[in-house]
Amino acid sequence: MSNINKPAPLVDSSNDFHKINRETAIEINNIEVSFKTPKGKFTAVKDISLEIKRGEIVALIGHSGCGKSTLMNTISGMVTPSSGEVIANGHVVKGPGPDRGIVFQNYSLLPWMSVYKNIYEAVDSVFKDKSSSEKHAIVDHYIQMVNLTPHKDKLPSQLSGGMKQRVAIARAFAINPSILLLDEPFGALDALTKGSMHIELLKLWNLDNRNKTIVMVTHDIEEAIFLSDKVVVMNNGPAATIKKIVDVKLDRPRNKKDIAHDPEYIRIHDELLSLLFDKFSIED
Amino acid sequence: MKNLSIKNTLSDALYFIGSMGILAGVWQLVTLVTAGEIPGPVATWSVFTELLAEPFYDRGPNDKGIGNQLVSSIIRVFTGFGAGSLVAIPAGLLMGSSKIGMKLLNPIVQILRPVSPLAWFPLGLLAFKAAEGATVFIIMITSLWPTLINTAFGVASIPSDHKNVGKAFGFSRWKYITKIMLPFAIPHIITGLRLSIGVAWMVIVAGEMLSGGVGIGFFVWDSWNALSLEKIMVAILIIGTVGLLLDKGFNALQKAFSYDQR
Repeated sequence: MSNINKPAPLVDSSNDFHKINRETAIEINNIEVSFKTPKGKFTAVKDISLEIKRGEIVALIGHSGCGKSTLMNTISGMVTPSSGEVIANGHVVKGPGPDRGIVFQNYSLLPWMSVYKNIYEAVDSVFKDKSSSEKHAIVDHYIQMVNLTPHKDKLPSQLSGGMKQRVAIARAFAINPSILLLDEPFGALDALTKGSMHIELLKLWNLDNRNKTIVMVTHDIEEAIFLSDKVVVMNNGPAATIKKIVDVKLDRPRNKKDIAHDPEYIRIHDELLSLLFDKFSIED
Repeated sequence: MKNLSIKNTLSDALYFIGSMGILAGVWQLVTLVTAGEIPGPVATWSVFTELLAEPFYDRGPNDKGIGNQLVSSIIRVFTGFGAGSLVAIPAGLLMGSSKIGMKLLNPIVQILRPVSPLAWFPLGLLAFKAAEGATVFIIMITSLWPTLINTAFGVASIPSDHKNVGKAFGFSRWKYITKIMLPFAIPHIITGLRLSIGVAWMVIVAGEMLSGGVGIGFFVWDSWNALSLEKIMVAILIIGTVGLLLDKGFNALQKAFSYDQR
């Protein structure tokens, strides 16, 4: 407790700051998710326990159909576990809530509303007590943050994939959730846009003093290492479990160009590769 | 770009004229084959100009201008159509948004939908004690089904992506209805309305033949009794044109409300 008297170190000067002395943001206790199908019970994931600290960025990685999204949806409350429980911000998750912002895989913007309205309706729904001008200020702020001010009156159909993605992220950030859940957020983007979106996401996270907990589903190893503090590798489904949790102890802020040559980065990259792929070459 | 659209409009107009030419040709052929029993385009045209010279004259209950007949038919159709829509849209929203509602109401709709609206005419007479009310009543019944079914299936087909937005951001029921359900369903509702008004316009002719009074359907029947086949041909052309215009109107409405074509 000696650090009580010490001033808190500045976020950017100490990369340990956000990792120590943090409370648990998300606790997953031995959950199983199964669905009834005409062919009988289908178990998507089972025996999953995971603890995520406040301010951590965690990537869920695995092959297609391994239940990454299902696992994440138990945190968002879109999916209810068949057994076990998920505790987010100290409460058992019983359904979706504004403390957990979601960025959907396919952005899920409402096509009949402008960029501005898409964000405004979410803000209006979550901050019922705020005045109209306060709510408009919030929307303006987040549109500005993702550099979409010139496009705020456009409909989603008039936007590129990267822009839609930014709207979805702005919408999720605007309701100021302490937990942010991203379901393959950059999956549909080209490599260049993807790279700049990674930077944007980290910028937003930094602006909030790295206080937001981010859980993201991905199948991109480089993306997972670059962004996260922990990479959760999942087995192949059905009945997927956690294969291994790999810590990413790379200094922040991370630089996309330099990080690729970091020996630790290369080590983690190799480890993840061998966890995900059993064979590395085609047998003749 | 502008030149192109003018060109398109021009060619569309030429095709329309060509199409009308074919119609007139076939018509003339039928006249020749039936040895003039069915009046040809020329004879009809002269009656048409005669009728249009004074469309709104009124010489007693059984002798009114074609304009009067048409206007009262249109008013009747829109009254019945409006009343039907006021029932069909909320019922459709209810049916589409609840599985129980769908399962309970759908069999009723499926049984009543294939019934000719004219079969309801006697019940209308019984209920309203007047032919006028009965005619509006059958138009109302007619207008129910396409609107009801389209609304219900429109609402039922809201993609889970859109629903999830409402869930994830904690939309209130009111916000869900006004910001997600209705905007998604409106194009479907308008399609239903468009089908409804089309059928209603078809049924009004038959309805007015039964009810008598003033109206384009009665005008056809009255002309038959007076053996004025030219007038019947005029009425057929007018009914067709008005039907086309109604459809065009709703088509324009549909375009105005579809969010993905803008």
